[in-house]
Amino acid sequence: MLNSIKGLVIGAVSSLLLAGVAHADITVYTAGPQSLIDKLAEGFTAESGVKVNVFQATTGKVMARIEAEAANPVVDVLISASWDTATDFAKRGWLVSYTSPNAEKVPDFLKNDTAVAQGVSALGIAWNTNSGTPKPAEWSDLAKPEFKDLVNIPDPAQSGSAFELTAALAGQDDFKLFKDLKANGAAIAGANAEALNPVLQGAKAAVFGAVDYITFGSKAKGESIEVIFPESGTVIAPRPAMILNWSKHQDEAKKFIDYMLSDEGQKLVAKTYLMPARTDIAADRPLIADLKLLSYDAAAVQGKRKETLQQISDIFGN
Amino acid sequence: MSTKGIGGVAPAAWLALGGLILVVAVPFVAIVFQAIFPEIGTGSFAKPFSLLGETLADTRLLLMTGNTVLLGVCVVIVSAFLAIPLGVARALYRVPFAPVWDVLLLVPFMIPPYIATLGWIMTLQPRGYLEQLLGFNLTPVLFSLFGMTLVMTFNTFPVVYFAVSRTVEAVGARYADVGRVFGATPARAFLRITLPLSAPGLAASLLLVFAAAIEEYGTPAALGRRAGFDVLVTGIDTRVGDWPIDLPGAAILSLLLVVLSLAAFLLQRWILTRRSYQTVGGKPQNADKHPLGPLKAPVLALFGIVVFLSTGVPMLAILATALSRTISGGLSPGNLTLDNFVAIFGNSAGALGALTNSLTLGAATALLTGLIGVVAAYVVVKTKMRGRTLIDVMTVLPNALPGIVVAVGLILAWNMPGLPFTPYNTGFILLLAYCCILLPQTARYATAAFVQIGDNLESAARVFGASGAVAFRRILIPLVLPSLASAMLLVFALASRELVASVVIAPVGMQTIATFIWRQFEQGSVGIGMAMAFVTIILTTLLPLLFLGVLRRSRLVRD
Repeated sequence: MLNSIKGLVIGAVSSLLLAGVAHADITVYTAGPQSLIDKLAEGFTAESGVKVNVFQATTGKVMARIEAEAANPVVDVLISASWDTATDFAKRGWLVSYTSPNAEKVPDFLKNDTAVAQGVSALGIAWNTNSGTPKPAEWSDLAKPEFKDLVNIPDPAQSGSAFELTAALAGQDDFKLFKDLKANGAAIAGANAEALNPVLQGAKAAVFGAVDYITFGSKAKGESIEVIFPESGTVIAPRPAMILNWSKHQDEAKKFIDYMLSDEGQKLVAKTYLMPARTDIAADRPLIADLKLLSYDAAAVQGKRKETLQQISDIFGN
Repeated sequence: MSTKGIGGVAPAAWLALGGLILVVAVPFVAIVFQAIFPEIGTGSFAKPFSLLGETLADTRLLLMTGNTVLLGVCVVIVSAFLAIPLGVARALYRVPFAPVWDVLLLVPFMIPPYIATLGWIMTLQPRGYLEQLLGFNLTPVLFSLFGMTLVMTFNTFPVVYFAVSRTVEAVGARYADVGRVFGATPARAFLRITLPLSAPGLAASLLLVFAAAIEEYGTPAALGRRAGFDVLVTGIDTRVGDWPIDLPGAAILSLLLVVLSLAAFLLQRWILTRRSYQTVGGKPQNADKHPLGPLKAPVLALFGIVVFLSTGVPMLAILATALSRTISGGLSPGNLTLDNFVAIFGNSAGALGALTNSLTLGAATALLTGLIGVVAAYVVVKTKMRGRTLIDVMTVLPNALPGIVVAVGLILAWNMPGLPFTPYNTGFILLLAYCCILLPQTARYATAAFVQIGDNLESAARVFGASGAVAFRRILIPLVLPSLASAMLLVFALASRELVASVVIAPVGMQTIATFIWRQFEQGSVGIGMAMAFVTIILTTLLPLLFLGVLRRSRLVRD
């Protein structure tokens, strides 16, 4: 028995060691889809010979890890799902200034000195076509009696893009829409995926402010779901890519950003149903130019984050 | 109580202490430092205690703490209510198909709580599987304290069931029979003799259930938020997971959880130290069990209902989702597909690598926690070493530390600049995290088992010339092995599916089963996630059973 335990331990130890990062060339933390970063890493390694080590989680978990690692950081490139990260990290002086030659076709509002968008998602209404409800066209349609008790809202405290939509819409009518939604039985239901799942099964008919690319992906798999972008406008969430100033591999990191913005890299982005950051890359979905965006003061909205979340929680609290 | 302080335990004690310091004390101290020094992450000791007041003054904190205790107590009560009758019946009577019930009641351990919760949601919500089959749904029941308690109870009550059936069996019908001889009624003999003597195992298992309930994240997050029922763990997760990140706040809330768990632990200790529970002496045990008689039908019905609710419903919901082409397609023949399982075994998105990683880590965690747990328990129960209470406390501390906080503590501790060697960013950091989180399992079971072993057995061995080490190896270990082995198998299962710590601390490029499933869910591929969950549950149930079978054949464990 002792021998078999020894064997087990040696097996465990060697397989754990192999998972280490001894041969890592660059380390990328991303809040984007795993399949996308896997393909980007693979393509980049094939092109440059530089290996990519990936850590993927939600924006919050990625930030928690960077925060805890602050004494001895290891991340070279960070791709967040929220532009706030780029603003905040730039303010802390953590970012390297770099403008990729491939960023020429990226519109100005999706790039600055220290960050450039990998891709962009937008929020829309995710509507189950088999739900027996009339197809909604506007945010306010979801407060109508046909949608009584049938609407899920992603938690603005848990999703950065949901927060922007909430703040932008609440700013227009002083939370009236959200009070109407609550009166109509709408529920705040976890982060994005958690809000969508009950709509797929039919427990709910629609998500108010679903992340579009996940919903397009579900539709492509054959789910009876549709994404509607209201005429009155919506919000977009650009996903900034940044190089951290403690990186010991800044040249390779810059090459990775170049690859991400290359024709090949941007086509991979488009394949996940995100909008590519470059305007000259086609995608099988509506692009930024096709969407009407809500106008709001992003900085002011972020400044009132705590108050806005408190008001939403007061309205929807039981 | 007699001869304590048998010599020759010093090396064992040092081993236990070293292991505990590495596994428990290091991350715990890091968390305490984080709570006191908000900027410790950047290596600075500036502004000590600056956030403590602000965090503790939050009015919602009292509410969250109250909710946490309420939920823990509810789960403990319902678990005891379900598990004690079943466990006692299993221990004292010849229950038909007993081994089958045991295996089926093992399955809830293997179902990750967040998966079980999702399974329940998909079954009970409007247009869920129940409504598709029978035409009605039970949503109002689900999203409530009651629903949360039930879902969490079904996940954890087997801990109590197995502890009760093992300890009551060890106490045996023999002591109760003595009572009967002296004129006690069966009910009185059970209440006054069998139940009190089984208290160590029962109390230890209820403590584990309480700790698991106050530390559980998945179920309160999925069901509680909808019901407006916030607990400390969801509050901690909000602080760690939402921008701006508040690690000091999370650390402070975690310490509050630790205090709750320690209070429960002290209560349990107080119950146990009031008297002697030694029932395992040198005399042969009478293994005869009584027939059930007229109780056969109701007992079987009870086993059937409980097994159906705790194992059947979640497993069927998982399987139904895994076999569906689309979620919106529902339960229809045209929607049936094996694609999700094909994707898993075709190694899509690194599924097989994730399985190998988790199963290896699970086995390594079981071995390490088993070793540290049994030595620590021995030192605490059977020696008079100074500082043994500290060892005891260390084996219970992680019980209430939420996984995500253990992860942050480990990063803070092991990612300091200038360390000559660090497990951080290798698989070993996951091993450390799992050992920390799961050590209480083996330590608690081993402690309960040692408490029941009479000191005279070890003394007899010493009289006949055995050294302390030999007596430990030849007498004590074989006697605690049944308890220890089941605790280690439990650790194996829990470690192979640990999610909350793994999500934050997994080394770059390494997936575990739980992070794989979680990523599939995040991307909307619920079917693939559920297929992976199903494969994992089957594997983590069958592997330990095979292992136990081998052990039994080699006579290391008696039946």
